[in-house]
Amino acid sequence: MSRTPRTSRRAVLRGLLAGSAVTVGLPWLETFAGRGNAWAVDDAFPRRFGLFYWGNGNLPDRWIPSQTGFGDDWALSEQLAPLASVKEQLTVVTGLDVKVPNVGPHLSGIVGMLTGMTPPDGEDDGGYPGPTLDRWLAQRIGGTTRFRSIEAGAGSDGRSYEGAHQQSPAENSPYALYQRLFGAGFFEPGEEPIIDPTWALRRSVLDAVAADADRMKTRVSADDRQRLQQHLDGVRELELRLARLEDDPPDLASCRRPDAPLADYPDLDGRPQLREKNRVISQLLAMACACDQVRVVSNWFSSPVSDLLYPGATMGHHQLTHDEPGDQAQVHQIVIQIMQSFADMIEAFRAIPEGDGTLLDHMVILGTSDVSLGRTHSIEDYPILLAGSAGGRFHTNQHVRSSGGESVSKVNLSIIRAMGLSEPAWGTNDNRVTDGLTAIET
Amino acid sequence: MRGSLILYAALAAVGCATGEVPDDGDTDTVVDPGPEPTFDGAFTPGPATLRRLTADQYRHAMRDLLGDVVLPSALEPDVAVDGLIAVGQSRTSISQRGVEQYETAAFDAARQALADATTRASLVPCEAAGPVDDVCAADALEPFAQRAWRRPVASDELQRLVDVTATAGGVLGSFDDGLVYGLATVLQSPSFLFREEVGVRGDDGVLRYTGVELASRLSFLLWDTLPDDALMASALDGTLTTDDGLAAQTARMLADPRARDGVLARFDDVYQLYELPKLSKDPFVFEHMSATLGSAAREQTLRDLGWLIFDQDADFRTLLTTRSTHLDPELASVYGVQAPSRDGFALAELPADDERRGLLGQISFLALHAHPTTTSATRRGRFIREALLCQEIPDPPAGVNTSIPEADASAPTLRDRLKSHLENPSCAACHLITDPVGLAFEQFDGLGRWRTTEAGTTIDPSGDVDGTAFGGAAELGEVLAADPAMPDCVVWELYTATMGRTPEIGEADLLAFLQKDFAWSGYRIQHLLAAIIASPGFRELGAPEESP
Repeated sequence: MSRTPRTSRRAVLRGLLAGSAVTVGLPWLETFAGRGNAWAVDDAFPRRFGLFYWGNGNLPDRWIPSQTGFGDDWALSEQLAPLASVKEQLTVVTGLDVKVPNVGPHLSGIVGMLTGMTPPDGEDDGGYPGPTLDRWLAQRIGGTTRFRSIEAGAGSDGRSYEGAHQQSPAENSPYALYQRLFGAGFFEPGEEPIIDPTWALRRSVLDAVAADADRMKTRVSADDRQRLQQHLDGVRELELRLARLEDDPPDLASCRRPDAPLADYPDLDGRPQLREKNRVISQLLAMACACDQVRVVSNWFSSPVSDLLYPGATMGHHQLTHDEPGDQAQVHQIVIQIMQSFADMIEAFRAIPEGDGTLLDHMVILGTSDVSLGRTHSIEDYPILLAGSAGGRFHTNQHVRSSGGESVSKVNLSIIRAMGLSEPAWGTNDNRVTDGLTAIET
Repeated sequence: MRGSLILYAALAAVGCATGEVPDDGDTDTVVDPGPEPTFDGAFTPGPATLRRLTADQYRHAMRDLLGDVVLPSALEPDVAVDGLIAVGQSRTSISQRGVEQYETAAFDAARQALADATTRASLVPCEAAGPVDDVCAADALEPFAQRAWRRPVASDELQRLVDVTATAGGVLGSFDDGLVYGLATVLQSPSFLFREEVGVRGDDGVLRYTGVELASRLSFLLWDTLPDDALMASALDGTLTTDDGLAAQTARMLADPRARDGVLARFDDVYQLYELPKLSKDPFVFEHMSATLGSAAREQTLRDLGWLIFDQDADFRTLLTTRSTHLDPELASVYGVQAPSRDGFALAELPADDERRGLLGQISFLALHAHPTTTSATRRGRFIREALLCQEIPDPPAGVNTSIPEADASAPTLRDRLKSHLENPSCAACHLITDPVGLAFEQFDGLGRWRTTEAGTTIDPSGDVDGTAFGGAAELGEVLAADPAMPDCVVWELYTATMGRTPEIGEADLLAFLQKDFAWSGYRIQHLLAAIIASPGFRELGAPEESP
């Protein structure tokens, strides 16, 4: 296999552009110079973060494992039983609370869990006071890959926010996700990259677009400037991606272009094909990480308040959490189905060899929801699952139970530090912590 | 959910003319209302908004500019804030994925347009001398950018577009291939994707929208797309900023067929009809459910609204009482009536003794505000309170057990089971507002089919709303239509949709006037829109807000 050296590819590009009156200059790109695709010296593989998110919580009585400890000391609970095949890579954290005022059902929990901050008053569902953990990490560890982050999900438009109403919507179509990740501009290892002269031309377009955004920013309110800035960031990000296309293609050993998924996954019996879609989305996200196209992936399985119909259920999920009497056998079955899909995601990452282990060993996937017990919208004893050891920084095959009413922010701070970031604190007010959850850290 | 409580209080204090709701389209009985009221209250303009085009507005604008091009279905999604996409437009931005989608769409559409001989001829008024021809590029790009950006293009901006075109034309060896890049630049620019309306301060110190900004406000409000040449001309020659000029354009635009699209888009937003194509119902419970039913229901409601507002120019309150509706065979079978046409939609008259009347007898209400397998008195009641009466229903408090009893012999109907809502004080505070209203529609199942029993027990649809008793859904429609809160709410919603933000306290007098004027007009939506447009709310603005 031959790979054209970078310098000569650039020369080709210059040749193609020769004769044109205007050069395509991107001075701002210099700030990224030297960052390339090199990984931190203490890591053979990049560290990645994954999120698996579902709506409407769990049934804590059937969720919390009865014993704590490592390995054979603890067994999976009824609701976690579908994770048996990945128990060795799993850590279950129970007993932590989202320590924010529970003012908005299905909102306080997710905002408190993922941003660490106090949710907005009222019902402003998109009024996230700050970035969600995935976007926060993407801003810090996503800057050297083709995509800063990828948001997808079988049954949700996602809740990845930069701030109030600044959302990165989740891609629901496996086919569209495939096109975005592995369509034009993706090269397999060993593939002769074709330097397309239009990349540089597209960057010149985006430069002109950015100039218009900069002009407009001087004429609008402070809030609107922020909104334009988000747009501008997106434009710059796309420019950067086009520049990265000219860089070395991925050469991680397991990187392959996956098979294209089906164009459509129609509902069966009036139910969305959540499990199959999630399986395909998970495999695409895993391969995108294996090819180092992205290091932060969010898999939004279902939304807060999701009223999706599941196989075997006689009502939508959210309605069941409130209207199903007794021990909520149907809610229980739905949680089991969701955990099956979480297991599918973990297995997709574990199926990819990387170094002496697997891709999963070099990342951590956080699984969480918007409430614990849906019936009462509780945000105490919050559902938190971790998969993968983040390059040996987390214990696995463990159930940790906090009895002290500690904040869920501890888990987030542990994750942040496991990603190689030395952050002093996470969260605000009662939800603020300055220490991670030491029981999960090695 | 819909705006500030302070303003609600202010509005509630204002009495409105009220009276009997006329029968369908029968406006002859309206007595002489006297001279039209004029606005002499206090007014402080609210802040400017920077609205992102909705996905539909983007599509309409692209077709205005480039002809009948194929556009991708996936675009940055619209998001409702405070219950309205119109408000979400002013609050949301464009995500990374959205930037990619707009980029792809811009290039695809520009290529298609230049490949079509007729469209190309309308876009390129000159013969290019070679792959790079800056003069010809400018001749093509200046009018194109002016239409897309709804404003004159500055010389440095035009130069940037010409430069991009020249570079690309040189590299690719073709003028048209280069022009694709220039057009795509115009179409990805914030000047196209956002509505920049910042105004200019007059000699009297008042900040007013400029002529071209007014043109944009008018055309997106009334047509859901870009200004046409006549509107732009009246903006550029100064006519549009005069009272008479603005009124003339408003009248012209309301009379144009495009007004139907634009005005119906506002109601699509207000009544959340855009949710209908995604309608999810369990086909094992509802044998009439189909993949097309939700979209057909949306079409029904929009056709009814178009008929009421444009064909009839009738009392808007009849939306809740009319027996006239537009049906296709599928909808007719769900409603259990004879289809008015063998295929497609046609106007039908529902039986006089039917409980099914107006919007509240439609799938657009009955199925959308229900659960996937059952009805929901709470959701239906909440829609009426919030979307029809502009009342605010708080979310349930946290930590409360929200389950209701299982259906059994002691509680066969939803009404029986919901009693627990009303017995628990922490639930009753809100469910007393929603449930009794919603229970009026229990004779329609979760899809909107007629039924008289639930679990073998006869359904009781009677109740009272804020002290006025009703016997069932049809009577409730009459009660709601006669409630001044209903037309007041439409004024509030259309004003909010026009402004792209919830009204501020300084606009309370103006809203009260518009409500009074709406009543004076016999509750005609076209009159209301013209009144909003003529008002200072449409023409004046506050300075941009800085962060504290």
